[in-house]
Amino acid sequence: MVKFFQHTFAYDHPWENVSYAFWLRYPNPFASHVLCADVIDRSINDDGVLTTTRLVLKQGKLPKWFPQQFVKNSEAYVIEESLVDPKTMRMVTRTRNLNHVRIMQVEETQTITPHPVNPDMTTVKTEARIISKFGWGMAQRIEMFGESNFSKNTAKARQGMKHILQMIREKRLRERMGFMQPQTA
Amino acid sequence: MSSSIGTECTDLKQKYDTCFNKWYSEKFLKGDTTPECEDLFKDYKACVMVALKEKQIDTLLADARKESPFPPPSSSSNSEA
Repeated sequence: MVKFFQHTFAYDHPWENVSYAFWLRYPNPFASHVLCADVIDRSINDDGVLTTTRLVLKQGKLPKWFPQQFVKNSEAYVIEESLVDPKTMRMVTRTRNLNHVRIMQVEETQTITPHPVNPDMTTVKTEARIISKFGWGMAQRIEMFGESNFSKNTAKARQGMKHILQMIREKRLRERMGFMQPQTA
Repeated sequence: MSSSIGTECTDLKQKYDTCFNKWYSEKFLKGDTTPECEDLFKDYKACVMVALKEKQIDTLLADARKESPFPPPSSSSNSEA
């Protein structure tokens, strides 16, 4: 069994800021489970597309009913591969966990593009696949846990992004004010 | 800024991140795609690679990267930013 999840959301911020916020999003008050994040590789191709691979370490959460003896520690390594095309204003990110994959593998793809109608807004399309190969007749229960946890986490991730986006907006505003001051003085 | 998996690499990471963030927001997004911060990245990456080996996740990562979602960049283009 596999669970699929799809969701589209719009931020009230322009694409440049959302794409920038993606790199700034850790740490934020809604991501205390993120322990560290590293850039493993980064390159730009001839078309000016930026490709990045990051490794993120997260503190996982196991449901109470899960037999704890199967998991030595609940830290999860997550690989995050992304590409950004500033010309077409398109950012695609794909993340998946590297360990604990037999218990549960979560693969998430996000496509970040300017809102089709309002250019001051940004659309984020999230697609995820949750699969458990765990035995003991527990795979389905794990997938259901994964699914409900995934939507909770998506909401939290959005709060984190909004927090960073607000900081970017305030910084830009301050810069503009600072720039204008000499003229108004 | 988030810390690095190798505690000893966090300083190098923050130096690189600062450079990248500035380049990304002030140049890259504005259409100037000439890579910068390459030397800082080289030092930072070398440090992280040692940390990954120590934690024995280097092979796990290498295996995972074999099935990259995005095709590798076309022939003559693998300059690191």
